[in-house]
Amino acid sequence: MAMFDWIFKARETATVPSMDGALRPNTALDDAEVLAEAEAPDNLVLSGASVLYSSGNGLFELGKSGGKSRSRPRAGSKALQRFESDVLALAAAPDGGLAIALKGKGIAVSGGAHDGTMLAGIGPKQLAAVTSMAFDGADTLIVSIGSEKHDVGDWQRDLLELGESGSVWRIPLGGGEAQCIARNLRYPSGVLCTEGSVVISEAWRHRLIAISADKPNTIRVLLDDLPGYPGRLSARGRDGAWLSVFAPRSQLVEFVLREDLFRRHMMEMIGEEYWIAPALRAGKSYKEPMQVGAVKTLGVHKPWAPSRSYGLAVRLGLDLMPVASLHSRADGHRHGVTSCLEHQGRVIVTCRGDDVVVATDAEQERGGAA
Amino acid sequence: MGTHFEADRRQSEGNLPFEWLTRLRYRRFSTQMVGEILSKQWADSLVPAASMVFVIILFMILAPGLFTAANLSDMGRQLGEFGLVSIGMMIVMIGGGVDLSVGSIFALGNLTALALTSIYDLPPLLVLPIVVCLCAFVGLINGILIGYFRLRAFLTTLVTLITVRALVDVLLLKFAVQISASFYDNPIWDFVGQGDVLGIPFSMVVLIVIAAITHVVLSRTRLGWHIMAVGGSRRSAFNTGIAVRRTICLTYVVSGALAGLAAFLYAARLGNSGSYPGVGMEIFALTAVIVGGTSLGGGRGSVAKAMMGSIIVLLINLGVVQMGLQSGSGQLFLGLVLLTAIAVDVRFVRNKDKILSRLYMSPTYFRLPAPSDPDDPSSPYAMNDRLRDVDLIGLSQLDGAEDVIFDADDNLYCGDRLGNIIRFDGPDYKTPKVFAHIGGHPLGLAFDREGVLYTCVGGMGLYRVYPDGRVEKATDQTNRTTFSIIDDSRMRLADDLDIAPDGRIFFSEATVRYDMENWPSDALESRGNGRLICYDPRDNSTRTIVRKRVFPNGVCVEPNGKSLLFAESWACRISRYWFDGDKAGQIEPVLENIIGYPDNINRASDGNYWMAIMGVRSPALDLALRMPSVRRRMALEVAPDEWLYPNINTGCVVKFTAEGKILETLWDRSAENHPMITSMREHKGYLYLGGILNNRIGRVRLPDADPDWTGPASYWGQR
Repeated sequence: MAMFDWIFKARETATVPSMDGALRPNTALDDAEVLAEAEAPDNLVLSGASVLYSSGNGLFELGKSGGKSRSRPRAGSKALQRFESDVLALAAAPDGGLAIALKGKGIAVSGGAHDGTMLAGIGPKQLAAVTSMAFDGADTLIVSIGSEKHDVGDWQRDLLELGESGSVWRIPLGGGEAQCIARNLRYPSGVLCTEGSVVISEAWRHRLIAISADKPNTIRVLLDDLPGYPGRLSARGRDGAWLSVFAPRSQLVEFVLREDLFRRHMMEMIGEEYWIAPALRAGKSYKEPMQVGAVKTLGVHKPWAPSRSYGLAVRLGLDLMPVASLHSRADGHRHGVTSCLEHQGRVIVTCRGDDVVVATDAEQERGGAA
Repeated sequence: MGTHFEADRRQSEGNLPFEWLTRLRYRRFSTQMVGEILSKQWADSLVPAASMVFVIILFMILAPGLFTAANLSDMGRQLGEFGLVSIGMMIVMIGGGVDLSVGSIFALGNLTALALTSIYDLPPLLVLPIVVCLCAFVGLINGILIGYFRLRAFLTTLVTLITVRALVDVLLLKFAVQISASFYDNPIWDFVGQGDVLGIPFSMVVLIVIAAITHVVLSRTRLGWHIMAVGGSRRSAFNTGIAVRRTICLTYVVSGALAGLAAFLYAARLGNSGSYPGVGMEIFALTAVIVGGTSLGGGRGSVAKAMMGSIIVLLINLGVVQMGLQSGSGQLFLGLVLLTAIAVDVRFVRNKDKILSRLYMSPTYFRLPAPSDPDDPSSPYAMNDRLRDVDLIGLSQLDGAEDVIFDADDNLYCGDRLGNIIRFDGPDYKTPKVFAHIGGHPLGLAFDREGVLYTCVGGMGLYRVYPDGRVEKATDQTNRTTFSIIDDSRMRLADDLDIAPDGRIFFSEATVRYDMENWPSDALESRGNGRLICYDPRDNSTRTIVRKRVFPNGVCVEPNGKSLLFAESWACRISRYWFDGDKAGQIEPVLENIIGYPDNINRASDGNYWMAIMGVRSPALDLALRMPSVRRRMALEVAPDEWLYPNINTGCVVKFTAEGKILETLWDRSAENHPMITSMREHKGYLYLGGILNNRIGRVRLPDADPDWTGPASYWGQR
C-alpha cells in the first residue's frame, strides 16, 4: 500500500483557527470614537494621570483624561517631546517614571526614581529591536527584543525568514547585571508582569507564554494557536489584560511560510510592500498581492474577505483566556492594532495601520456580526 | 520608491536558479494530460489492462509451453465458455448483487445438454433453447427471490448453489452411465464442440458476439442504463421511476441464461458426464469480474473489464498447471490476486475523485518581463483619477454588465448575470428593461449589418437576438482538436466577438478548462487553454482558427476588414490575426507586456483602439507564475477563497494605435466606482464602461472625441 500512501498523502493543508467564541467578529473598532488622528500611533501608556502615546519620534498626550473631548487633535498638536530617533516602545513606572526605547539609541528613563538613566545596551550588545517594555516594580524593567537580526520596522522580513532570535530581559535600573529570562523566541512582542511571572506574547508562534521569576527559561504556554500575531499586552487593573493583535494569520501566508524557495525569491526581488506577508495596513497599492475572496463584487468589499491586515484587540480574563474582543474586519478602517490601554472604563486603542487612536466602552458585550 | 524600481529591474533581469529546467519540464510534460486521462471513463480499465499484459508476459517467461498453437486453440474454447459466465456475473454485480449459483447452473446445463443429446437424441438446435431456458429459469428463481422478495443475494444464490448441485448429483446417478454408454453423432454438435470460424474457435466466436451485444446493451440502451443506475444507487433509481425489482430480477435471468449457453458449449466440447464440471466456477467468475475492475458495490463495470479479468484468471489457472505446480497452488495464487484486486477497487473508488481534483489544476511556467510602473509619471500608463467622477447608469439595477453596446438608434444594451440582455433607451439611459432572456450570462456583444445582436454567452456559446427580442442559438460547438484527450468541441466560455464585413463572426473562447464562476482560476494555470473560433452564418459552420492561446478575450475587427486584434489576458498582450488577404492565417504581436490583464478591445472615434484592463499585475503573482509547482501546491493546500489571484479590483482603460503605441490611460485610482473594467464602448463623445463583477455602467465624457461617431456607423456605414 506504499504506492497508495504516496499517491494519496499530501502535505497538510494550510489552516488557520477561525475567529469564534470570544473572538467572534464584530465592528466595535470601526464604531469606536476617534480620539486622535496621528501618523502611525504606536504605544499607549498611562503615566500618572495622563495618557501618552508614541508616534514616529514624538511623544504625545491624549486629550483630557482618556479623551472625552470631541476635538480631534492632529499629530504634533500636543507633542510633549521629540526625540532624535523613532520611539520603539514605552513603559510607565508606578512612581511616575517613563521608560522610552529609542531606535538605535537604547532606553532612556525620565522622571521617577531613575530619572536620567540611559541604557545603551545589555553588556556589549546594543539594545536594538525593542518591541515592548514593562516595569516590574519601580526598579526593574522587563524588555522584549523581537529579533537580533532585524529592526522593528523589518518585522515582516523576520517572519518570512522564520526568525527565532528574540529574547526577553530583566534589567535592574539601579545597576546590576541584566538577566535574560527567555531566548530563541520567535518575535516576542509584548510583555506583562503578573505576580510571580512574566507573560510574553510570542508573535510568530501565535501564543502567550509565561515564565516564572524563580524558574527562568522554563516556558509555560498560556494561550495557544491564536488566529493572529499577538503584540503588546496591557494590564487592566487586577482583572486581566488587553492583548493587541497587530496582524491576522492567513492560509496564504502560512503556505508561503512553508515555501522556502518562493519566499527567498520574493524577498530578493520584490519590494516589501508587495510581499505576501501580514501587514498593519493592506490594500494601499494595487500592486499588492490579492486573494480570491477579496475580489469586489457589485462594488462591495466583503468583510469576511481574506486580508493581510485586520484590527483586533482582545480582552483577556484573570486567567488570561480571551473573554471579549473588538474587531475591524477586512472592509474596516481600524487595522494594525499595536497597543491598548484601559482607562476610566474605556479602552483606548492605537490603530497604527490606519493612523488613528480610538476609544470605546471597555466592558461592552457585543454579539458577533452575522 | 527607488528600491522598488530596483527590485523590478532585478525581477526582469535575474533568473531563478534552474529556471531553464523548470521551463523545459513544463514545456515537455504537463500534468494536465494525466488529469484528463484519469477523468475519462476508460481510465478505469488501465489497471486491469496492465495486469493482463503483466500476466501474459509472466507466463511467457515461466511457462513458455502455454502459448503453443494447440494450447491457444484450446484456451480460446475455454475462454469462450468461461467468458460467458463472467459476463453474466458482471451484469449481476453491476446491478448490485452477486450470483454464486453460476457453477451449479452450469453443471445442470451441462448434464441436461448431454442427456438430451445422448439419451433422447434431440437435435442440437432444439437442445440449445431448452438448456438456455432451463438455466434461465433457475436464474429466474434467484431473481424472484432476490428482486421481488428482496432476500439477500449472497445467501439466496448460495442456497441455489447447494440445491441445484444436489439435484445435479441425483440426476447424475440416474443418467451418468447411459450418457457414457451412448454415442451421439451429429455434425452440428461436433462443430459446436470442435469447429472453427475463420480459424477462431466456435465458442470464442459466440463469446465475441455476446460480448458485443452486452456492451451495446449496457452502454447504449435503456435497460443497460437502468441496471447501472440500480447498482449505483438503488434508492435514487427507485425515486426516478425505474422498476428496480424487475431490473434486478432480470440480471439473474441473464446470468443464468449465459451460464446455460456456456454449459451447452462445454457439453459439446468435452461430453463430460462427471460430477466436477462447474465446481468452483463461481469463485473463478467472481475473481475475474473483480480483477477486471468491476466495482463490488455495483454501478460500475464494463464488458471489456470482465473480459480482461477472465483472461487473467484463465491464464493463471492454466499457467500454474502448465508449470507443473500442485493443483491447489493455482487457487492459492488466485486468492491472493483477488485480495489485491479488492483492495485496489476499494481504495480506487474511494479516492478517484480526490486524485482527479488534485490533478485538475495544472499550472505551467510563464514568465513576463517587469512591466512599466504606473507610479512613474513618465510611464504611458501613468496613474490618474480620470475615471473617478464618472456618471453612473443603472446603479444597483445591473448585475454583471460585461460588455456594453449601442444600436444605430442610440439605445444602450448590456448583459447581466441572470441571463438577460438589458436595454436602456436613449438618450437619458434611465430605465433598464429586459430586452431578451437567454439564460446564461451574456458577455461580448456585437451588432451585425441587419441590426441582429450577437452575443457570447458564458457556458452556452454564441447566440443571436433579433430586433424583436427573439433569441436563437447560432453555435455552441466547434470542431474537436485532433489529438486532444478530452472532447473540447463544446464551448465552455465564449467571451468576446466581432463581426467582419462579410458577416463572419470571430469570437474568443477564453478557456476550455474553467467555467463562468471560476474563470480567474485559469490565471493560476496561465497555459494556452483558450482559442479563437470563426462562425460563418452563411453556411452555419463553426471552425476553430487559433488554438492554445492564453485566455483570449477581447476581439476587434480592424477597419481594413482583413484582420482582427485579440487580447490574451493572462499573457498581457495584444496580437493581430489576419483572416483574409496576403497574410491570411498569420499572427503578429501588437502590444506586449501590458501592466495588467487586457479584456475587451473596441474601436475609438479617431481610428485608434480602446482596451479595457480588468486588473493590474502584482509582483508576487508574476513571481509565482515562474514557479508553477508553488501554484500547484497552493491550489492543493490553501482554500480556494484564499488563493493568490490576479488583482481584478483595480482596472483602467487604455487607448492605443494600430501599431501598438499607447496614447492615453484612464484610471480610477481608488477603485471606488469601477473596480474592474472589462469593456468600454465609445459613443457620441462619451465612453461607456462595463464590468463583469459590477452593478453599474459608467459614462465618462471624452472632450477631444468626435461627438457624432458611433460604433454601428463605423462598422456598417451611415443609414
